[in-house]
Amino acid sequence: MNAGKIASVILLTLSLLGCANLDEVREYATESAKFSAYTELTTRFRDTYEREQPYLSGEPAQHAQENDRRRKAAYNDLLKIHRGVALYMQTLAILAGEDTFSLSGEIDSLAGGIKAYPDLGIDAKHVDALAGITNTVTKWISASRQQNAVRNMVREGHEPLQTTLDGMNSLIRYYRKTNENEHKTVLGFFEVEMLFLDAPEDKLLEALARAHLQNKVREYSQAQQKYDNAEQGIMRIAEGHRKLFEGIDKLSSAEIRSAISKFAKDIKSVRQNLQYVHE
Amino acid sequence: MALKNQKQVEAFADNITACADDIHGRLIEAIKDKKIDQMTAQQIFQNEASLRQHANTLYIDAANFVVDGLGESHTSLIDLIGSARESIRTMEKMAGTIGLIANLILLAAAACTAKPGPILSAMKAVQSDILALNNSREPLSDGIDDLAGDSSANHTAIIRT
Repeated sequence: MNAGKIASVILLTLSLLGCANLDEVREYATESAKFSAYTELTTRFRDTYEREQPYLSGEPAQHAQENDRRRKAAYNDLLKIHRGVALYMQTLAILAGEDTFSLSGEIDSLAGGIKAYPDLGIDAKHVDALAGITNTVTKWISASRQQNAVRNMVREGHEPLQTTLDGMNSLIRYYRKTNENEHKTVLGFFEVEMLFLDAPEDKLLEALARAHLQNKVREYSQAQQKYDNAEQGIMRIAEGHRKLFEGIDKLSSAEIRSAISKFAKDIKSVRQNLQYVHE
Repeated sequence: MALKNQKQVEAFADNITACADDIHGRLIEAIKDKKIDQMTAQQIFQNEASLRQHANTLYIDAANFVVDGLGESHTSLIDLIGSARESIRTMEKMAGTIGLIANLILLAAAACTAKPGPILSAMKAVQSDILALNNSREPLSDGIDDLAGDSSANHTAIIRT
């Protein structure tokens, strides 16, 4: 085998090694970072008083005001939890990004820079060869650096992330339970008062109350769906990261890649369902 | 507080909610059977609503327990994000180094030809590469410092937006 063939075999081997294949990881992290149902439900939790206030009077109204003050005080800390997870996912997506560790732009400028001075005695063939070899070698170096960076992040991030997601799920449960109490206060008010509307002069009032009640029933059933979706989404994010953590040493295996990709798609479709609930 | 942890608080709140639900069921039955007048019904409904507010107070307590419990995990995540960004920065420096090498090759080639024009322009390029490598990038305020809060994490965010 002549030197040229040997060189091309080496180049081919290096370029195959150079593929980091982190598309699925990036896809998963990007979708997870976009998942913001928690934030919306945190805001809904903060605004509980605004919705229940017209139906309260006396002692429960005062108590509700005090609860309102405390929910508003906790709001920023509750949001911070989500921002920590979103920032982690964004950073993971950038780490797994196609261009993050790529030096090819710099290598092009290297080749271009030398070509710009042909009178300096470096001929075009040399430049191409040099750029080609540098490209392949740096690609290989950067791909392994990238794999290592992603592995380290997933390994070290796994435990704090799972704990945080678990906490977010508990919080969603408290939001839901608070919302159920609000829902029963509002609908319960109508249920009680409407039972006393039997005089003929109450017809108009009764019709108005029924129309308002219909809207409220719809609003609370949509809210229920949001809590369901948020819980599903957070669960998928947690499961996806677990799969990533378990398969961290075989990220290029077809099984791990298709599993991670499926989580990314699930998270995306839960997010889209949520948008649908809004419309 | 008598209730020591998040689970206890939640269980207690669930019980209070269940009592309120129970009262509501009996109230509706009593109204339908015409056993009570409207004033009494409103009074009982107020008591029911009051119980729900008590339960909601406990759900806020439970949420605050979760927030406090996540402090350590939150700090770990933020620290980790900082070091991940550090590794991206190292790559960016490496990219800068390649530009420097290219310009050094030019400088060497120019020096061989002994032409002042190319030598000067190549030297300028090398100088600016070295300056660029030494100057750390401007930190971006994309929330990491704010998120780190009182923790000791003090990272320079360097990711290009």
